[in-house]
Amino acid sequence: MEPSFKMLDERSGRYLPFIYPEEIPFWEAAKQRQIRLQRCSSCGRAWYPIGPACPFCFSMKFEWVAMSGRGTLHNYVVFHKAWTPWFEKRVPYAVVQVELEEGPRLTTNLLDCPIGDIRIGMQVEAAYEDVTDEITLVQFRPAKR
Amino acid sequence: MTEVAKALRDKTAVCGVGLLLGNYPDRTALSLAVDAYQLALDDAGLKREDVDGIIQLSFGYDYDRFLEAVGTDVRYAYQGWSHGRFVAPMLQHAAMAVATGMARAVAIVHGRRRRPYGQTADHEMWRQGLGPHGESPAYGALGPVFGAAIAAQRYFHMYGGSNEDLAPIAMAFRRHARLNPVAVRRSPMSKEDYLNSRWIIEPLRLFDCCQNNDGGACLIITSAERARDCRKPPVYISGMQGVHAGRQFHNLTLPGLGVAQQEVYKYRPTKEDLHAYEMAGITHQDVDALITYDAFSPLVLFGLERFGFCGPGEAREFVKDGRIEIGGELPVNTSGGLLSEGHVIGWNLFIEAVRQLRHECGERQVRDAEIVQYGSFLGETVIFRR
Repeated sequence: MEPSFKMLDERSGRYLPFIYPEEIPFWEAAKQRQIRLQRCSSCGRAWYPIGPACPFCFSMKFEWVAMSGRGTLHNYVVFHKAWTPWFEKRVPYAVVQVELEEGPRLTTNLLDCPIGDIRIGMQVEAAYEDVTDEITLVQFRPAKR
Repeated sequence: MTEVAKALRDKTAVCGVGLLLGNYPDRTALSLAVDAYQLALDDAGLKREDVDGIIQLSFGYDYDRFLEAVGTDVRYAYQGWSHGRFVAPMLQHAAMAVATGMARAVAIVHGRRRRPYGQTADHEMWRQGLGPHGESPAYGALGPVFGAAIAAQRYFHMYGGSNEDLAPIAMAFRRHARLNPVAVRRSPMSKEDYLNSRWIIEPLRLFDCCQNNDGGACLIITSAERARDCRKPPVYISGMQGVHAGRQFHNLTLPGLGVAQQEVYKYRPTKEDLHAYEMAGITHQDVDALITYDAFSPLVLFGLERFGFCGPGEAREFVKDGRIEIGGELPVNTSGGLLSEGHVIGWNLFIEAVRQLRHECGERQVRDAEIVQYGSFLGETVIFRR
């Protein structure tokens, strides 16, 4: 996988994430249906956003490890304003923040869940959405009981 | 507190201000800044030769182009990132440059068009590790308002309440704006009007958000001694402290709300968090009016709790019953703020603080105002005294 700095997918009109060089293991894992984050080799904590050092103990030794994919819905908001034509067909839509079992919080969407059913504290699990041939977004859905 | 902080209390002052706000369809950002500079020089009774320092936040033209345009050479020039949180630090830099003799008078200048000419699209949202307000475009997390919406939602989750609790803020500032002839939004706003305004990002409505407008602003900072010889009464800079930043201080959020990677706890300011009061030799009870950054209404709750005007979660009750209105316990954003006066990146908020302390605010004057604080949720503050 190569870094990518395309803002928009021309075919769909959807906004794309920038893929910075240091983030490639995350995006490669997403394509394989896995959340991989950096875990500190000194203090053992995982962190997000992706960066060159452990923000907890400042060690620069880390390994990329798979997260469980389980988490708790920590926060959400509902967009009613559509910023681009792609979003016009999708409002209202929710943006959520999920706190992973391992600690870091990710900003994502919640698939397969009506807006009215979203609750802070609900259990969620990782889901994946292919947005181009190269890029897969890590998403979440309500956890199966 | 350091010896320097003690020594600097009331040693620098704002001596001139200039403000343009509204629709200027045929003007460039540069020309609005030049206009504001002329207004401020005239307000101070200074000539451009008296100014030997310049500070600005970049908005389409840079400091050197501005100086070329106004035919001024300076020995202190500085330019920062155009975000509202850097308005207070710019003013602080100006005061420190004057206090240390790096400049005799520093002009802070600003010009901005609502729709810039010939500027490339804003790439900030695509920054490494989320945008400056937590944006993530691929997930539809867009715009600065996203940062305020996630913070408000966490606040309501922790302390109870809902969108309706923000109505008194929007309504109070609209009442203030109606007493301000230059305000952009001046039509009356009832609670019904507020509740009928459309959702932007739930839990925030249109009336929880400021609008963009064209504008120009200038403040001139000089020594207290020189300011006393200027045309208008000096407004002294008594105390100040900077923008608090890091993992616990996500933008548009109070510490402890658990936004982004913040810890979750009930925030109460410590002594160190209130350094500016110590520098000014006051407590929050001495503040006659609070001016706080209000690009979005929840930020007012956070500003009140950040400086201990209210305990954790108590601001949403405090803002009710006219307490933050002119004549109330603590008038807040007496010009109408960014929500209703207009958005000049926050420079207009500082200009209102100055005008209140000169007692030149007419109908919206806070009676006998002696101390006005600019203070916002990230902890940045400047305490002004007449």
